[in-house]
Parts: sequence; C-alpha cells; structure tokens
Amino acid sequence: MTPPRWRPSAAPSTMSMRLERQPDEVIDRDAPLTFTWNGRTFPAYAGDTIASALAACGVRVFSRSFKYHRPRGLLTASYLDPGCMVQVDDEPNVRGAHRLVEPGMRVSSQDTWPSLEVDVKAANQLVGRFLSAGFYYKTFMGPSRLWPAYEKVLERFAHGGEIPDLESYDRRRHHYDKRHAHPDVLVAGGGPAGMAAALAAAEAGATVLLVEEEHALGGHLRWGGDDVRSALAELRRQIEGTAAIEVLTDSVVLGRYDDNWVSVVQRGLPTVDERLVKARAKTLVVAAGLVERPYVFAGNDVPGVMLSTAVRRLIELHAVSPGRRAVVLRANPDGDAAVAALRRVGVEVVHVEDARRGGDIVRVRGRDRVRGVHLADGRRVACDLVVTATGWTAPVSLLTMAGVVPVYDARAARFRPDTTQLPDNILATGGVVGDGTLDELIAHGEATGRVAATRSAVVGRRWRAASPTAGGQVDSAAEPCEASPPALPVDPHPELFRARTHGIVDFSEDVSSSDLVTAVAEGYASAELAKRYTTATMGPVQGKLETVNVVAIVAEATGRSIQQTGTTTWRPPYAPVTLGALAGPEREPVRRSPLQAWHEQHGATPLVAGAWVRPDHYGDPAAEVRAVRDGVGLIDVTPIGKLELHGPDVPRLLNLVYVNRWSKLAIGRVRYGVMCAEDGVVLDDGVTARLAEHSYLMTTTSSGAATVWEWLESWLQTEHPEWQVHVTAVTTAYASINVAGPRSRELVRRVVPDVDLDPEAFPYMHVRTGSIAGVADCVLWRIGFTGELSYELHVPAGYGLHVWESLMAAGSDLGVRAFGVEAQRILRLEKGHLIVGQDTDGLTRAGSAGLDGLVKLDKEDFAGRPELVWQDRVADPPRLVALRTSDPTVVPVEGSQIVTDGSHIRGRITSSRMSPTLGRSVVLAQLDAPLADAGSKVTIAMVDGRRASAVVTEGLAQVDPEGERLHG
Amino acid sequence: MMLIPCPWCGHRDAAEFAYLGEPSPRPDPSTATPEQWRGYLYLRDNVAGPVTERWYHRMGCRRRLLVERDTTTNEVRPHRSLVEEES
Amino acid sequence: MDDTTAVARSAISPAPPETVVAGWAVSGRRSTGALTLTDVSPLAKVAVRAGVDGAMSRALDVPFGRISRDVGALDGADAGLLVVGSGPGEWLVLGAPGAQATISERLGRLAERSTPGASADSGELVTVVDLTHGRALMRLTGPAAADLLARECAVDLTDAACPDGSALRTAVAGLATDIVRDDRDGTPSYLLHCERSSGQYLFDALLDAGTDLGVDVDGFTLTDPRGEPRATAHS
Repeated sequence: MTPPRWRPSAAPSTMSMRLERQPDEVIDRDAPLTFTWNGRTFPAYAGDTIASALAACGVRVFSRSFKYHRPRGLLTASYLDPGCMVQVDDEPNVRGAHRLVEPGMRVSSQDTWPSLEVDVKAANQLVGRFLSAGFYYKTFMGPSRLWPAYEKVLERFAHGGEIPDLESYDRRRHHYDKRHAHPDVLVAGGGPAGMAAALAAAEAGATVLLVEEEHALGGHLRWGGDDVRSALAELRRQIEGTAAIEVLTDSVVLGRYDDNWVSVVQRGLPTVDERLVKARAKTLVVAAGLVERPYVFAGNDVPGVMLSTAVRRLIELHAVSPGRRAVVLRANPDGDAAVAALRRVGVEVVHVEDARRGGDIVRVRGRDRVRGVHLADGRRVACDLVVTATGWTAPVSLLTMAGVVPVYDARAARFRPDTTQLPDNILATGGVVGDGTLDELIAHGEATGRVAATRSAVVGRRWRAASPTAGGQVDSAAEPCEASPPALPVDPHPELFRARTHGIVDFSEDVSSSDLVTAVAEGYASAELAKRYTTATMGPVQGKLETVNVVAIVAEATGRSIQQTGTTTWRPPYAPVTLGALAGPEREPVRRSPLQAWHEQHGATPLVAGAWVRPDHYGDPAAEVRAVRDGVGLIDVTPIGKLELHGPDVPRLLNLVYVNRWSKLAIGRVRYGVMCAEDGVVLDDGVTARLAEHSYLMTTTSSGAATVWEWLESWLQTEHPEWQVHVTAVTTAYASINVAGPRSRELVRRVVPDVDLDPEAFPYMHVRTGSIAGVADCVLWRIGFTGELSYELHVPAGYGLHVWESLMAAGSDLGVRAFGVEAQRILRLEKGHLIVGQDTDGLTRAGSAGLDGLVKLDKEDFAGRPELVWQDRVADPPRLVALRTSDPTVVPVEGSQIVTDGSHIRGRITSSRMSPTLGRSVVLAQLDAPLADAGSKVTIAMVDGRRASAVVTEGLAQVDPEGERLHG
Repeated sequence: MMLIPCPWCGHRDAAEFAYLGEPSPRPDPSTATPEQWRGYLYLRDNVAGPVTERWYHRMGCRRRLLVERDTTTNEVRPHRSLVEEES
Repeated sequence: MDDTTAVARSAISPAPPETVVAGWAVSGRRSTGALTLTDVSPLAKVAVRAGVDGAMSRALDVPFGRISRDVGALDGADAGLLVVGSGPGEWLVLGAPGAQATISERLGRLAERSTPGASADSGELVTVVDLTHGRALMRLTGPAAADLLARECAVDLTDAACPDGSALRTAVAGLATDIVRDDRDGTPSYLLHCERSSGQYLFDALLDAGTDLGVDVDGFTLTDPRGEPRATAHS
C-alpha cells in the first residue's frame, strides 16, 4: 500500500527562476524536456540536474528532514547535498542535486506523508526533546518484548524511499557489472591539480585513470568565470587528446585498500546502472579538492540557506537564480566571488556580513523558506536567500585509509593531511593538501603527476620481473623514489564553526549542536563517542560536510582544543554505494555432467550439491529404488572426485593418507579407503584402483574432490618432496555411470564385448579397462554403493551421452531405469553405507563412524594416527548405529535427538528414509557408546515434540547384510 | 586486497590463494606426546608484526609458498627461502 | 556396436546450427563480429608433468609462462601444435582434433629419450595425461578481447604484462582457468582452458559479461590455427 504522495495541482510550472544564457552553463537550451515531480509535470533542459530543474521552476523544498521532518532545500547543490535525496522511478535514495534529469523521469520526494508540503511527522518538531541526543537509546529501552513494536515505529521514521518489488524488477536486464583496471597512476579528482597530474603522468609514459565525481572535469574551475575559462578549456583539450588517460566522470573512488586496490563506482553508463571498477593502481594521486563547510546557527537548515559554492553552481552551470534578495556571510575570496556572481545576474544583495572583519549572523527566520536574518549587531534584514562562505574541509578519507592522521591547522581553520606519513605509492595534490593560485595548483599537480609516473614505473618493473609471462623482462634495476614536490602554500582563514546560537550540524541525521553539547554533558565527551551517541556523521553524507563542525563543537563543549579532540576515523566507502554495485553480476561457478541435458529432458528434479547440478529424481524415487533392487538402474555419478596418481611412490602416499593398508594392492584391484585429518576426524572416503604398475585412479566424495587434491599436494609438497608422485585431477575427464541391480551384468555385457564379465574373471572390487559401446579407453570397476551387483563405468566425457543412451537402449527389454541421488541415498541407507559429511561431522573420528575395523593402528604412520591411538586407549567414543523404530511408519527427521531421562541428549539421527524395499523406516544415528550395543532401546525426540522408540540393530545393513547380492 | 608475491606466478590478488597460517612442523608421530601433537594442530604464536605464513596458490600454480607478512600493516614480502620445497 | 556412430560432445552446447567436425558435434555458426567466442574443445589437450629443471623440461624448452608454436622435439606430431608452459614443471600440449594419441606417444618417446630410466623407481618422473575430454577450451578473439576478460579476470592482461605468447593460470569468473595469449594474424586472441564441467558456465559468463562489447559466438572449424591437421598425422 503506497500512501498518496502528492496533492494534484493544476498550476502549470514555468522556469521562473531561469536566468538568461550564462557563459559556462551546462544545460542545452535546444533540448527542452519534461519530467514529473510528485505527479506534476515540470519543464527542464538536458544537462539540468533534478534539483536545478526544480529550482529553475521556483521549487525550494525537496525533502523532509530525518527526525523532525523539517522542510529542506538545497545546501550544496552538489553530489553531497543532504536536502535533496529523492526517488526516481523505482530507484530510491537518488541524489537529486547530482542526477541529470531525463525526459519522462518520474521523481518524487521520499518518506513524506501525506505530502511534502503537509507532513504529519513534522509534529516531531514539537516533541523534539524525545528525539534529542541518544533518543534511540533512551526512548527504546525497556522490555525486549516491546522491540517488535519499537521497530515498527522506527521504520516509519526511517528515510529510504521504496525499492522495486521483484515482479517489476527486470532481472534479465544488466543493472550492475564490474571490471578490473590496472592503471599505472589513478588520479582521484578531476579538478585543475588532478587534471594536471594526469597529463604530466601520461607525458612521463604512464597509463592514467582519472576519476571525477561530477559529470565533467574541471572542479571549481567550472564555476570560476572569466579568469579561468580558457585555462579549463586548455586542460580539457589536452586530456581529450591524450590516449593514455582514461577519464571516468560521474564516478566516485569508494576506498583505498592494501597495495593500492582502489574501488571506483562508475555511473551514467548506457548499458548498466552502475559499474564497480576494481583498480590495482601502481600509484594513487589523491586530488579530492576541498568541500565547503556549512555554518552552524539557528535556522541554518531553512530552505534558502545555501553555501557559496551552491549559489555559484546554480548560477554558472545551470543558469538558475538561487533567490531574489540575498544576505551573504563571507570569510574568504569564494564568498566575494559569490557576491559578485549574485550581483552580476541581478539578485539583490541586500547585505554582506564579512567574518574577516568580525561580522556574524545569529539566526534565520522562516520555516519552509527564508524570510529574514538576524545579524550579530542586532539588525534584522528581510531576504529569501542566505549564503555562507565560512570555511573548507579537506576530504582526507582516501589518505587516512592509507594510515595518514590529519592534523588541525588553526591558521587555515581546517584539518590537513600530514603527507610525510604517506607510503611511496600514494601522493596528494590540490586543495586537499594546500591552497595557491591556479598556476600554483597546476604546477603542483604536474610535479606530483611526474613523481607518480616515476614511482609507478618502478612498481611496474618489479611486478613484471616477478611474472613469468612478460617473457624475460628482468629489468628490475631499483630507481630511487623521486622526492615529493614542494608543498603548496596554505592560506590563512578565520575559524568559523558555530554562531552564538545552536543549529543543525548533521543535515542528514538531523543532529544539532545542542544535541552534541547534551551528549558531552551526559559523558560522551570524545568525538568518537558523541558521534555514535548522536549518530552525527553517520548519514548519507558520511561526515564530509559536518565532521569538522562536530569536532569543533565537542571541543568547545569539553574545553579542549580541536587538535586534542581529533577527528573521527574515516573508513571506506567514501560515498554510500548500492549493494548491487558491490555484488555485481551473478557469477557462481556451476558444474554440470555431460549427461545433465539428458536428465533435464527426462524430467529430472535438479539438486544443487556444492557447485554441481544433479538429478535428485525423475518423479518417483521409490520406483527407482525398486528398479535397482529388482532389475537394473543407471545413475550418473560423474561428480565423484577422480584423481590420477602416477609414480613409483603412490603406495607410500596411499599408506600415509588412508587409515588402512595399501602396500599390496595388485594391478586390477580396487580397495575402499578412509582418510582422516591429523586430528583423527574423518576427512573423506572413496575407492582407489591400481590400473598399471605406476598408475592409480583414486575416487573421492563429490564434495571432497578439491579438499583431497589439496591434501595430497600438501603431503607431497611439504612432508615428502622426495616422493615421485604426480597427481592429476580428472573428475570430469570421465562421465561416470553406475549400473546397479541384479541384471546389471546382463546389461553391461551387451555393450562391453571385449571384457570378460564372468564373476570369476571379474570379481567384486576389481577393475578392468576396455571399450564400451564402441568407445575406447573406458575404465570399469566392480563396486557397489547400493548393495547390489553393480559396475561403475568411467567413459571419456565427450562420449558420456553416447554410452548412457546406448545403455538405455540396450536395456529397454530389461526395464532399465535412470535413478537419481535420492534413490541412491535410500539404497545405500538400506545397505548401511555411511556418507562422510552426512553420517559424520567435523568432530567425528574414525572410531565413531563404524570404521574401527578399517583403521590399522599398527601401521607405522598415517595422517591422524596419533590421535586415533590415544582415542583408542582412553575414550569410549560415540558410535554409528542403525536403528529400527518400533512404529515402522515413523521416519524421524535427520538431526532429531536421541534422549534419555526425558531430555538428556545422547545421540542424533544422521540419516533416515522410508525404505521401499522393506516397507519400514531405515535410520542411521550417532549414539553414545553405552547405548550403542545391538538390542539397546532408545528414545527419539521428534521435532514435533512427540517421542518415538527404537532399537539398535545388529550391524548397519538392513538389506542383504551378508552381501550376497553385492558379491554375486 | 593484498597482493601475494608468488615465487612462481608473480604478484597476485590474495583471493587466488588459500591461507594456511603459520608453519607448524609435524612432530615425529612415533614419539610425540599428546601435548606436542596438539601444539602442532592448534597452537600458533599470532604475533602483531612480521609473521612467516604459508599460502597455497589454489587458482594459479597450485604450489605452497611462504611469505613474510606484517600483521599490523599487511606488508607482504617473499620469504627468504622463497618456497617450502621444490625439487 | 558401430564405432562410427559415436560423436564426441563438448561441455558447451553448440550454438545452432549444429554440425560435426572431426568427430565432434560443434556449432556451425559463422560470425563476422569483431569480438568472437569459439568453443574449440575438440582440440587435443595433453598434460605433461615433469621436474621443473629436469631433462624433460630442457627437451621441451618452453618456460613456465610462455608458449611455443614450433617444438622441434615433437616433430611431425601436428602442424598446429602449441606447447604451453602452464605451470612449474607442467605443460599443456594442444593439437588438432584426434591428435591426442599421437601427441601422447611422441611425448612418451621424448621422455624416454631425455630421461632414461624414468619409469624405474629412480630418475625423473614424467607423466603424460590425455585431458582432451577432461577440459573445456575456448578461444576469444578480437581487439576488445582483453577488455572483456578484464570484466572477469583480475590479472593485468595488457600488452606490457601479457604479450602474445604468454600463459598464466588465474581465476576467470571465479574459476581456475589457463589463459593463453595466442594471437591470430596480429589480432589479440586468447585461449581459455578450464575444467570440463564448468565449461558451459565460463562460456556463458563471458557472453554475458561481453554483451555491451558485442561478443558473438563463432563456430568451430579446422581453420583454427591449432586445428590444422597435418597430412602425416595419424589417429
């Protein structure tokens, strides 16, 4: 249910605040378009952001604030603007002051009810004391049973917009993708210093990835007017003409990780919503510029209070008048430039307060729009626009992620990075490290770019010298790292954080300076604690606008200096990122047998087991079981792990990794073996055949193939490098087909003309090689997991389908039937064969898996032997047993517990099924030793709360315990 | 993501490797006491600073290798003996 | 059973129309696109293991990380023969469809010549395993091939780091894959070699990742440089 978000209005919107053509405007007046805002149609030009288009039509309120639902307008008119998070079609949390408007776009305000103009939650303003510092912690205390109710309340107040429902979400479309990049130099920030660094690095022979958050390169030059226009055009022209520079605009560097692994999210692509670029940069140049800092005073969040950069962006880039009557509080040359820009486009600047000469403002009057301002000297001035230019914050995030601690510079009124702490592969240039004229910034950028290129070349040579693919490029002559360029000058700036009134510090989280003072008074006296208690800096802007004000206000409240207070820690991501961008396209390796297409064509229900897709059954697993017991069935067992072992020392390896004896396996024989880890826990099991003098084929469980391969390699590479053994993984070199049932010999004989299948010639646990259905180089084993006479056929995989179809055709008169994993699980359970990982777990030692007889403790050494010896001496471990339930129809759920005295746990059910062969349930369980003898009666606690009784049977096999079928 | 300097393949993302922890020599199984054996199985120094570690290049050359990693900075260097073995 | 009826099938289902080339069911599709992906799994694939610096290694003379298109030591086996230094003490030999037996036999003879006594309990162990059916092999060709691979592979495949004739094993779309740079007439071309059961997955992943680069499926023919059977080759 979506509540109505808007009140229909008949009034057509016109671009009443649009200025005449501006020299640097980025809008295309020849490309008009329309879009809707809360249901009303608005005009715009291509190149407008959502916010600039609305502002051009006189819209001033874009959202309601997080806690108090106060009306909010534009503050920065940039990517960071906290007042303009909107919903675009089915995409929530879009940054409206950054996203370009498109024809037909449906834009709405988020989380307002019933409408943006009349929002009932604005009543929160009247109950502000309940939402003050730490309100989460104070208000929602109390009995935990009330938490579900609290959550409902909190959800109502949370921002977030609406995510698309899955039906309307087109999963075929690519929403997100990713790519890797390997630039010599990655430059974060495309202002003048970053552009100059990129050009100089490319000139020095480096490949460069230049990443810019905005839609175009240029940084503050874009709204710099006549003085910088030609310089910007020249920088852009040079970059366009440099093939070695790849420019990503509308892209944000999210983080810098170990070894300059730099993640970038790229937007504005034609084919996907977002692309994650994973860049391994040999050197990283941080040219993040400066972020203008808001000023804290009463009413500083009323729509119409803007930063000087916001005003200049609106005028210069979008030709939008930010207001009609302006008051400006300025402390720097950018404030002067804003005054000039306002005057140039005809905004009446009714008053300028200059903080460099002690000027200040006290409060802004107005609720949903600025109506006037109180000056420090007591005068009141009516206006609809208040502009502040009170200071800068260096966005040092990427540098602090590399270990740099920012240091407060009182003279410049901002934290600055101590670049002497930077590792060699990171440099910084531009506003983030200093001030200077445009020429100085460009010169510093160029010098930084040259050093970055030189250092990246050293790294590149080192990497190529270590890589065998580069064809013998071993030019690794170490070059001295070129020293960093001399530092940029730093201009003095008055320290301005808060007026003598309290106002909003964190515009995203609705945290005021009085909240911070309260937090300090309540004992949260460090910046880190006050941050968490109030949630300041924890919203979508992530501290870039407000952190320094938070620190300054905490410092003021505690009586410490700003440097003593220190900043909070910057961690990735630099900017919020969608989970979709991080997840990227779905890439989960899938493994398929050569027969999988056949299974699907014949109605198999797929079973995903690890990476494998397997047939669970073909509709009737009980019928599949009966076919195997009465006639013959085929199962695709291709996923069984297969390793070819070659070399004279294979028997020594087998003796070491298996708990049983392997020295005397004759050619043509197969043996079952169990592997334990060094702690005595069962690792895997399978059979191994000796095919020739020095050639063996080992099988493992389907899920254990990779583990066993690495286990063998670890013994060969570390403990016994002198052994001559080669291990080759051949799991899907063969399609593996188990032919099981009393008539399996009859069937196999029809397609295997050259191998003598008589029981005397080819007995149980033997192996032969030969042709099957005309396919040479096949391996035949006589083994059986199902308890029936069976042959396991390993066929070169490309011919797997041919052999399977040949068997199905040849056996049609025998009633041959394909069976799936479920039937196989029932068959083996009837026979009492364990499955490692099902009937054992990560703590099950060999003795608890019914494998006591197999373990040869008198062998000199094998993996896990010492633990098994000690266990044999001291412990009476749980045992694997078969149970027969008193009620034959009861099939206790796997994982059900075996209890005594009502609730004392003594064991658990590891496998259970209804047996079509016996007409009763068959059950395996791990059971405490004193209860595990045959005839012992036990109680099973069923998941539905009932109790079932059962008795431990003699041996594990319920069908053919003598093994006559198997050996027949 | 860290780069691991594989002595065979060169610098590769750590995601290509399995982490095997500090080397823990296998005691002589015929004479080891339970204490010695369990020390081999479970006990590691876990220091803050330079540590010698075993990694297995699962996605690449499938060789085990040793590196020295500073656990406080993730700075990784090839271990002086380069590889645990290689005939 | 009639031997001639058995057609080998790759792990990758052929894009229509399906046809048979050299006993393998393959795609008969022809693409003129600038970026093509071809299932070349019918090619013979034989793995060799031997000492890193042993006699067999010297005889093959292809270092780890590089390939050779002209191995004198295996003379006459196959005109399109490619020997890949796929790992330390590991080689992968690719040849025309059906040539695996010849290749294995010649490798065996080379091993005997270069490492006398290899089969005894002492001396260098040389192992030759035919993996023709055990692996999937595909070829990606076009000027944008490296761009496509960069979507799914974290290793730097630009010319400076991975020139023509390079070979490496790494993760592609999360799967252990041998990447062999084997350019065709000056156009970048990569062979991708992975475990058979994941061949369809890798093929699909590359097509999916390269949609906006215009990647197109091209069928298998014997004109692949590694697919040219030599007149003298026997099967």
